[in-house]
Amino acid sequence: MNWKKIGSFAIVIILIPITLAIGVVLFKGRKYNIISIAVALLACVPNLLFFEKGKADTRRMVVIAVMVAIASVGRVLFSPVPSFKPVTAIVVVTGIYLGSEAGFFTGALTAVISNMFFGQGPWTPFQMFSWGILGFIAGLPVLQKILKSSVQGKTLASRLPIVVYGAAAGVLYSMLMDVWSTLNMDGTFNLLRYLVLLGTGIPTTVIYIVSNIVFLLIAAKPIGTRIERIKIKYGI
Amino acid sequence: MDHFSSYHPSVLLVYYVIVLLLTMFTVHPVLLVCSLLGGILFFAATNPLKALGKNLIFYLFLFFLLALTNPIFNHRGETPLFFMNDNPVTLEAILYGAGVSVMLIGIMFWCKCYNQVMTSDKFVYLFGKAIPKLSLVLSMALRFIPVFKSQMKKISQVQKTMGLYTSDSLTDRVIGSIRTLSALLTWCLENSIETADSMKARGYGLKGRTNFSIFCFRMDDGILLAALGAFLCMSGVGYQQNVFEFYYYPSVSPIPTGAGAYLQYSIILVMMLFPSILEIKGRIQWKLLRAKI
Repeated sequence: MNWKKIGSFAIVIILIPITLAIGVVLFKGRKYNIISIAVALLACVPNLLFFEKGKADTRRMVVIAVMVAIASVGRVLFSPVPSFKPVTAIVVVTGIYLGSEAGFFTGALTAVISNMFFGQGPWTPFQMFSWGILGFIAGLPVLQKILKSSVQGKTLASRLPIVVYGAAAGVLYSMLMDVWSTLNMDGTFNLLRYLVLLGTGIPTTVIYIVSNIVFLLIAAKPIGTRIERIKIKYGI
Repeated sequence: MDHFSSYHPSVLLVYYVIVLLLTMFTVHPVLLVCSLLGGILFFAATNPLKALGKNLIFYLFLFFLLALTNPIFNHRGETPLFFMNDNPVTLEAILYGAGVSVMLIGIMFWCKCYNQVMTSDKFVYLFGKAIPKLSLVLSMALRFIPVFKSQMKKISQVQKTMGLYTSDSLTDRVIGSIRTLSALLTWCLENSIETADSMKARGYGLKGRTNFSIFCFRMDDGILLAALGAFLCMSGVGYQQNVFEFYYYPSVSPIPTGAGAYLQYSIILVMMLFPSILEIKGRIQWKLLRAKI
C-alpha cells in the first residue's frame, strides 16, 4: 500500500456517499437502480485506476489478458450448464498468484468480455464488482499465503482453506448479485424481496458453491504452477 | 442491420446511455411504453421473426409474474382489492409491478439490440484513448479467444499423430481433453510473453503513438449528436415542469396532460423509435431499388 493507492481509495470512499446523497436529494430516494449502478461502477474505479496509472509491466498485463480470456472461454464453454461456471475459480487463482490488483482486474474485465457473448446490461457493473472483489480478497497478503499453501497442499485437511473460500465466494457472489435483482425489480430496496430472492436462489447458490469448489480443486493447482513457472522464468 | 449501426460509435453510445437512463429514471407509464415500443421494434427490425416471437413469449410471462407478485412484497396503496393472509393486495401495487416490469422488459430489449450494434471493436475504439491499458487488455483478451480455439485444434491433432487416440469411453475422453487443455495453458502463457516482448520491441507505451481507427465522424453523426443534445435539453425542461412526475403510492397519480406534456411525449416517442424508423426506411429503400432492376 503506497500513498497513491490510499489516495485513490480515499477518493472513492468520499465519492460513493456523495453519489448516494445526490441520488437521495435529486431523485427523492426513489431511483435506487441508477444510483446503485453508479455506486457499483465507482467501487470498481480505484483498482482499475491504479492499474491504469501504475507502471504495470507489459508482460504482466499480457498474462492478465490470458487469464481474462481463459475465464471468459470457460464461461462460454460451460454455458449449457446453468450457473456451473469456472469464472470465480479462475479469478480467485489469479488473485492468489498475481496479487489483489490483478485479481480484481481479471474479475472485472471477465465480466465485460464474457458479457459480450452473454449480453451486456445494467447488471454488468455489478458482475464486474462482484467477481473483482472476490479476486481482490483472495489476493490480500494474509489470505494469499494461506490459500497458496492450500492450493499446493496434498492432504485433504491442507486443502480445507481453498474449499472454504470457494464456498464463501459462492455465497458472497449470490448475495451481491441479489442486491441488484432486488433494486431492479423494486426500484427501492425491499428487504423482504431481497430475502425471498436469496431464499429462492438457494439452489443456484449451491451450484455456485459446488462449481467454485470443484474448479478450484481441479484447476487451481495446474494453473497456479504454470503462473509460478512463468513468473520465475520471465521475472514478472 | 447497418443503417443505425453505421453511425459513429460515440454517437451510438450517447444514444444508448440516454435511452437506458431515461428508461430507468422514470416510472411514468407513457415514457415506459414508448421505450418498450422502441426496443421491441428495433429488435424486430434487426432480427428474424422467430427470435422475436420467442422473446415476446418469455417476457410476457415475466410481465405477469412481476405484476402479480409485487403485491406480495408491497402492501402500500389505498385501494385494497382483497386480503391474503391478512395482508391487503392493492391495486396500486399491481400497477406498480406492471410499470416496473415494462421498464425491465424495455431495458432487456434495448440491451439485446445494444449487443448487436456495439460490437467489440467499437467498444475498444471508444475506450481505447481514455483507458489505454484497460482497453489493451480487453482487446488482447478478445483476440486470445479465437487463438485459443485454433491452437486447441492443433494440439489435439498433434496428440492424435503422436498416437494418443481417445476412444469412445468417457473417462478416456476426459483424460484426453485434460491433456490438451494443460498443453494449451502452458502454450498460452508462454506465447503471451512472446507477444509482450514483441510489443515492447515495437515501442508500445512510448509517447506519440497513434491509433488505427476505421471510424470517422461524419456530418450525419454531428446532426444526430446535436439532435440528442436538443432532446436532452427538452427533457430537462419537461422535468422542470413536472411532466415526468408520476407516482403509484399512496394512489396512482393522473398522467400529466396538456399541450406541453403531449409535445414532450411525442418527442420521446420519435427519439425512441428513431433506430427502428431508420432500419425500416432502409429496408423499404433497398426493396425499391431492387425492384427497379
